[in-house]
Order: sequence, then C-alpha cells, then structure tokens
Amino acid sequence: MKKIVFVFLVLFLQRLNAQELFVITDPASNVPAKSLAVNLMQSMFKEQFVSGYNYHLMPEITYGLNKNLMVRTSAFVSNRSNQLYLEGGSFMAKYRFYSTDDLNSHFRIAAYGRYSFNRADIHQEQIEILGHNTGYEAGIIATKLIKKLAISSSLSYEQALDNHPDHDFPASFGNNATNYTLSFGRLVYPKKYKNFKQTNINLMLEFAGQTINENGKSFLDITPAVQFIFNSQARIDLAYRREIYSSMLRTAPNGVYINLYYTFFNVTGKATVKE
Amino acid sequence: MNQNIKIANLKGLFTAFFLLCTMISKAQMSKIELQATGLTCSMCSNAIYKQLETIPGVEKIDTDLNTNTFTVALKQGNELTPRVFKEKVEKAGFFVGSFIVTTTDISKQNNYIIIDGKAKNQKATKFKVLDKGYLTDKEYKKAVKNYKEIASYSKENEADFHVKVLN
Repeated sequence: MKKIVFVFLVLFLQRLNAQELFVITDPASNVPAKSLAVNLMQSMFKEQFVSGYNYHLMPEITYGLNKNLMVRTSAFVSNRSNQLYLEGGSFMAKYRFYSTDDLNSHFRIAAYGRYSFNRADIHQEQIEILGHNTGYEAGIIATKLIKKLAISSSLSYEQALDNHPDHDFPASFGNNATNYTLSFGRLVYPKKYKNFKQTNINLMLEFAGQTINENGKSFLDITPAVQFIFNSQARIDLAYRREIYSSMLRTAPNGVYINLYYTFFNVTGKATVKE
Repeated sequence: MNQNIKIANLKGLFTAFFLLCTMISKAQMSKIELQATGLTCSMCSNAIYKQLETIPGVEKIDTDLNTNTFTVALKQGNELTPRVFKEKVEKAGFFVGSFIVTTTDISKQNNYIIIDGKAKNQKATKFKVLDKGYLTDKEYKKAVKNYKEIASYSKENEADFHVKVLN
C-alpha cells in the first residue's frame, strides 16, 4: 500500500498537469448549464465479518440549471439482501458562489446540500447517506487549479435518520458526523492536445475521512484512481478504496469502483441568441 | 384631437429613432478569437465548444486545446455582439480571458468605443475588448488604472464595448 501511495506522489510531483473530475468527491465546479451528465457508479466492497462482497449500483443524473447551480438525483441498488434490491434514492444541489479564474488556473468555492432516503438495514457506525443511511448532509467545497494541478477539499456535516420503515438508527451509535476530504488530480496523457477525439488519462488520489461528533470515532480512507476520457464526452473511472485508519465499526471498507459517465451537452435545445 | 395626432407623430418619431439606433448599433463582426480561462481539460473545452455551436450566426469554430483559444468565423450579416459569446462561455462554467474581434468598418458601429489606438483600415479592423468579463481579472484591474480618465469605462456599461485597436 505504501508503494502505491509513493508511486502516486512521485507522479504528481514530476509534472503538474491535472484534472478535477474526481471519483469519490465532487469539485467546486459544476456541470455546464443546460447539460445533463449521466453516471453509472458501481462498487464492489469486501465484507469484513462475513464472506463475500457487497455490490452497490448507483445510477445518477446531474443537470446544470444555470452556470452556478446544478442538481442531481441518484438511486441506490445493492445486493445486501442477497438479490439486487432498490434501497433508496437521493437529491442533491450544489451552488458555486465564488470563482476567480486566470489562464489555466482557477479557485472556486461551492456549497452543497443532499437528502437521501434508504430502507436497508443499518449495520455499521459509519454514516453514509450515499447508499446506506437515510439522512442529510450540508457542506462546502474549495477547488484550486494551480498551473495544471487540481487540489480540492471539502468539509461537511452529515446527519443520519431512521431508515424507514423497518430500521431505526441504533441509539448506541452517534447519529451525526463531520466529513472531510482532500483530492488531487493530474492529467498524464496526452502531453499535448491535438483534438477532441484524443483519449485523456488522469490519475487521482483522494483521501476521505469521517469523525462521529458524539464520540470522536473516526476513519480515514485513501482512493487511488485512474480515469479515461473518450471523445471529450465519456468517462470511465477505475478506483480502489482502502481504509488507512479506523476506530469505528465498518462492515466493508475496502473495495473497487467502476464508474461510467456520459455528458449530453445542451439537452434543452439550442438556445436563442438574445442580441 | 390635435393632441392625439401629436402623440402619434411622437410615437412614429420614437420608432424611427429606435430603428435607426438599432441599425447603427448592429455589429458586423466577421471573426472572433476568444481565450477561455479556468480550464485545462479537453472535456471542459468541449463544453465551451458545444455552447458556442448553439449561437446562430456561427459558421465555423477552430479550437486550440492547448491554449483554450476558440477562433469563430461568423456568417455575413450576423447581428452578434461580444456579449453572447461571454454568456455562453460562462454557461459552460468558465470565463473569457481575451476577446479579439475582426470587424468591417468600426466607424459605423456606435456601440464600440475606441479608447486605445486608432482604426486605420476601414475594411477590416482587429480590436481587443477591454471591458470587465473580457479580460483576466488581473488584466482588468490594470486596465481600470490605465483608463481611469475615461468616464464611461469604469461604469461597466454592458451595452457598449470599450476597445483597443490592434491593427
């Protein structure tokens, strides 16, 4: 594991040239106005206490309402009950309220809110409203592009509620948490752009942590990822998430992600010129 | 009765005046070159390209992905102004860092105020837009100091464009 981190750090320091289309976190930038992004996120995480893998399928649709505001809806499907089962869904909005851009660089800050519902059983202390818990989250994201290295960080408050109708949130667990992330992204190919059809390859390194506010129990994960962009419109992410540290009960912290992502530009028709 | 005729005449006069103003102020841009800021990825450039494509009057777009420069050839008789391009780039999630226009006979266009240089060639003039939103933040701050004696420049009036002649 140390080797993987080392290799990634060396790659980042060699040449600063990056992207911010992260795998497990969102940047402060939004999808373009009037564009629709469809993402099919799949994850396979190894169960720690029983044999087998925990498969999650998370289709999501993101729409840019205007240049600063985007909305997203997601569905959560998992095999935890031994067959594919629709467990819940989620709504999210992100508002970019600060931007300073320069040639090949920018600094942006966005605020976001998310509400999710889920009817699955609650089986761990980790609070995760993306696919596990009913609840809400509010946070802030700052993303900096320096020359061509993208660095993004977020801080959020996450509140878990009961998973209706059958699974109340256990009273012995802390039901709210602080989440923090730090992500790096770098473009490794091409060295020089020729056209829109050229495949782009990005390397990402992301850190995601959580602290349960009531009892201070925490975890920190690292996720290295490789990302391919085809035709400047379609994206495939392959990522491996691994726990670095944890003092809380988590049932399946280590696993892989495969994301398929496609952007439909200007879906609401050709805009008329105001002039 | 007389008053009604007077009002009608006045309305006619206003309409004629308005039409005249509109006709005069229509730009005859033949080509624009814009450089977008805040991006380094081809997917981001593609988002801008797709936005620019939706502008009626756009004939051809050439993109330099390494500098994020879009050279847009415009159809004859188009009535576009730089504002629509700026709005489209911002819709894609980015900003304009440089905006250069090639136009025919700038002297006939009263929505362009030359504040730097002099138009020599009446047939084809190349100029750079100096208003807020058409320069990088740093360049705009410098320009505000440089052109502080030009009263209309600092007002950030969206209808007029303050320009520097390049040829």
